[in-house]
Amino acid sequence: MILRIDRRLLQNVDWPLLAAALALICLSFISLWSLSPSGGIAFRQLVWVGVGSVAMLMVVALDYRNLVRAAPAFYVFGLGLLLTVFVLGRTVSGARRWIHLGPFTVQPSELFKLIFVLTLAWALTSRWGRPLSRGALIGTTALVGVPFILVVRQPDLGTALVLLPVLASVLIGLGIRLKIFVGLIAAGLALMPVAWLALKEYQRERLLVYIDPFRDPLGTAYNVIQAKIAIGSGQLLGKGVSGATQSRLAFLPERHTDFIFAVFAEMWGFAGCLVLIMAYGLLVLRGFEIAAGAREPRGRIVALGITALFATQTLINLGMVTGLLPVVGIPLPFMSYGGSSMVVSLMALGLLLSVRMRQFQ
Amino acid sequence: MASGSGPRRDAWSKRVLTLTVMVAAAFVMLLGQLWYLQVLEGTKFRDMSEKNRIRVRPVAAPRGILFDRNGLALVDNRPAFTLSFIPREMEDRDTVLARLAVMLKIPLAELQDALAKVPADSLRPVRIRRDLSLEDVAKVEESKLDFPGVVVEVEPQRVYPTSTFAAHVLGYVREVSEEQMKGGRYRRGDMIGQTGLERLLDEHLRGRDGGERIEVDALGRSVQLMQREEPRPGAQVVTTVDRRIQEAAERAMSGLSGSVVVMDPKSGDILALTSSPAFGLDTFAGNMDRDAWVRLVKDPAHPLLNRSLQGQYPPGSVFKMIVTAAGLQEGSLTPMDRAYCNGEYSSGTRTWKDWKPGGHGHVDLRGAVVQSCDVFFYQYGLKVGPEAIARYARAFGLGSVTGVDLPGEKSGLVPSPEGRRERGRPWHSGDTLNMSIGQGALLVTPIQVARMTAAIANGGVLWKPRLIQRVERPDGKLAYSESTRMNGQVDLSPVVWAFLRQSMSGVVNDAVGTGAAARLPGLEIAGKTGTAQTIANSSSAKGQDHAWFASFAPVNDPQVVVVVFVEGGGHGGAIAAPIARQIYQAIFLEKVAMAALGTGS
Repeated sequence: MILRIDRRLLQNVDWPLLAAALALICLSFISLWSLSPSGGIAFRQLVWVGVGSVAMLMVVALDYRNLVRAAPAFYVFGLGLLLTVFVLGRTVSGARRWIHLGPFTVQPSELFKLIFVLTLAWALTSRWGRPLSRGALIGTTALVGVPFILVVRQPDLGTALVLLPVLASVLIGLGIRLKIFVGLIAAGLALMPVAWLALKEYQRERLLVYIDPFRDPLGTAYNVIQAKIAIGSGQLLGKGVSGATQSRLAFLPERHTDFIFAVFAEMWGFAGCLVLIMAYGLLVLRGFEIAAGAREPRGRIVALGITALFATQTLINLGMVTGLLPVVGIPLPFMSYGGSSMVVSLMALGLLLSVRMRQFQ
Repeated sequence: MASGSGPRRDAWSKRVLTLTVMVAAAFVMLLGQLWYLQVLEGTKFRDMSEKNRIRVRPVAAPRGILFDRNGLALVDNRPAFTLSFIPREMEDRDTVLARLAVMLKIPLAELQDALAKVPADSLRPVRIRRDLSLEDVAKVEESKLDFPGVVVEVEPQRVYPTSTFAAHVLGYVREVSEEQMKGGRYRRGDMIGQTGLERLLDEHLRGRDGGERIEVDALGRSVQLMQREEPRPGAQVVTTVDRRIQEAAERAMSGLSGSVVVMDPKSGDILALTSSPAFGLDTFAGNMDRDAWVRLVKDPAHPLLNRSLQGQYPPGSVFKMIVTAAGLQEGSLTPMDRAYCNGEYSSGTRTWKDWKPGGHGHVDLRGAVVQSCDVFFYQYGLKVGPEAIARYARAFGLGSVTGVDLPGEKSGLVPSPEGRRERGRPWHSGDTLNMSIGQGALLVTPIQVARMTAAIANGGVLWKPRLIQRVERPDGKLAYSESTRMNGQVDLSPVVWAFLRQSMSGVVNDAVGTGAAARLPGLEIAGKTGTAQTIANSSSAKGQDHAWFASFAPVNDPQVVVVVFVEGGGHGGAIAAPIARQIYQAIFLEKVAMAALGTGS
């Protein structure tokens, strides 16, 4: 599987991008470590970083154009995985998102985010997809609509919600006409009452709690309130590891995973958050830079899609933890504890690097 | 920013730039929100986090309730107050402990010991003292602000009809000991069944503790209940005991030392089982101090011993029924066999006395049973032979445990010539003589005698005594149930059964019967008295003799077996039989009352 990598490719490694990701992984390690000083979780996460790095190198070594070409196969495979979840998935807090693979549980919807981007690139650059016609739009919508519905039904509202902005970004990038774009959004809004009916009770409750957090002080709102208290009490410089009572005394739910930012914010305050946001900003900016600099349609869509994926996940997660958005389960890329998320994020990073390295070919 | 390739900025990179600006704007908004939360409102949130403490409080599950066969509760729960420490929340321990010790009059060392056993940052309450008085609760609650981490919990506690009611059947509940915690099944402070059914069914009875998350402010005042997981109450147990009969048996035995077993001969159900003196069940629930415990264990009257199945005694003349059964069935004895009893029997150089000085005169087999003539049984015991006697004793379940659902049952002892030989000791004819009247090395437990008597009453079925009918979980599902089970069968010819029953009826109803004191108008009782000498054939004081009365009624359709054993009581007929009479009176209340009315009119 080891392909000879052209010397020229190595000259085009995007070091700032890598540095941003590495910085985030370090911050994640510190946060996980301070949550449980015995270090079990932090080290387990390091193992996933290792696995993810290998996966990333493999993605980099392969030409992304080949990956896009293989997208239909990935698509079928990904669809299969999502269906598998329904058949033998493990139910965690009312949702079937995981399947067992030996000792591991894998979250196929995470992996599907990548497949989604590759499929977009494949569909929108294929012969019938160019130029961006109405037919192509309908075809693409159908292609991404099926897995979208599967993901919603799992239910993994978070992942589903991430896919929509990614699709929107790519369409904007490709220069979709404003009228059509607005039309799509209007159609989406029109479908919302239908979507409401398709939502699970707890998902509806979360949306309602977003509008009125004190609707349910024992349940969902508790997360939001405690997260806000944790973040706010970090003040300018943070409380340090030992002073972070909110996080360490387990007031915060899901503090290793979706709410890890609140832990970080409590410990390191606004100053720390600034560093963290800058790292994410750098990651996203480099991503857009790579997308803008790509000369070949497939590279453009892949880079833009991946960047939009990172940006959307980061913004939705941070927005939810800081109380700007409703609570939907989305991990923070490179920060949240979890193997699937970490490996997929590193593979996505690999795709970005790959586009960048091959932009002059 | 997204410059792409210098001035030749194409439409693509322009559109990417638009997206970049949108995302950048979102990041700026996010920073704004962080600035708002952490800097502008930071002090407020810092304050909230200081005050924000969530206390986790376990909510003890109520123990399952034990019912009698008619649905009356044998034991119930009531709420009781427990003083607990939550180590992590405690501040300035020394002062707090000292003040509490003075306030509640608890030795300081006891408080310190209790805390020393658990980690200092434990959030789990350490139970210090159970069943606080209302006065003490008020004192603690008043000083709550000065005592962070000191709480009063409400725990369900056992409440018994009377302190000693069915003590040996139910068993007591007490905080888990260090030793018991080693298995890892229990947590410190758990109340678990230590003896009796409480111990046997502990797993079912305990239920599962729930918990509460309470948000409290910096002063420890609860702000709101965040979450409550209801405790799962323990399963309910339906026993075979009849509370009314149990009470009557205990009443009849009050002040005496001994045991009563009441059994249904048709099923082996235990209707009542007593052992006296009993211990106070409730003394274990609260705070039993060391001294009280030592006093209880060292008590010469052995209140903790369950005499009905752990006490092993010679059966005395009750055993004559076995000798009779063995002789009749083996043909070595017939109802026509007679003997002249002059009050003593000589064998070799020794003389064996009858219990009645002067003897009973001419007696046949029935007369020997009715009057409990020792001389007759000395004479015919030798004829029946020790092997046959031992064999029939074992067939009737003596010498082996009955398997009743209570811990610590003893098996008693049935000696036999071959058993002796195996241990290289000789068997003398004197041993046979002793055995013929239920003395010597022979040892039985009251519950064995009850099972044996039930077999006589029902024609040979040895039941496994049943105490538990079923265990029902709170959701109505059956966790456990036990059907009646035979654990043996004695095969005798119907004539022999009839003779045994009729002669036992004579013991109570004949004018000369030794069990006449049990006679009850309106109810035909059959029984056999026994007077067990603690030192065989010695002329020890009457006070040392154990009194037995093994009986069943009504003779024609036996419904209950009542076995009374009184330690050091004296003559079975004089002491044990009247007690049985009282119990029958309670059981067949209506029947006896009707008979009384009948004779009155």
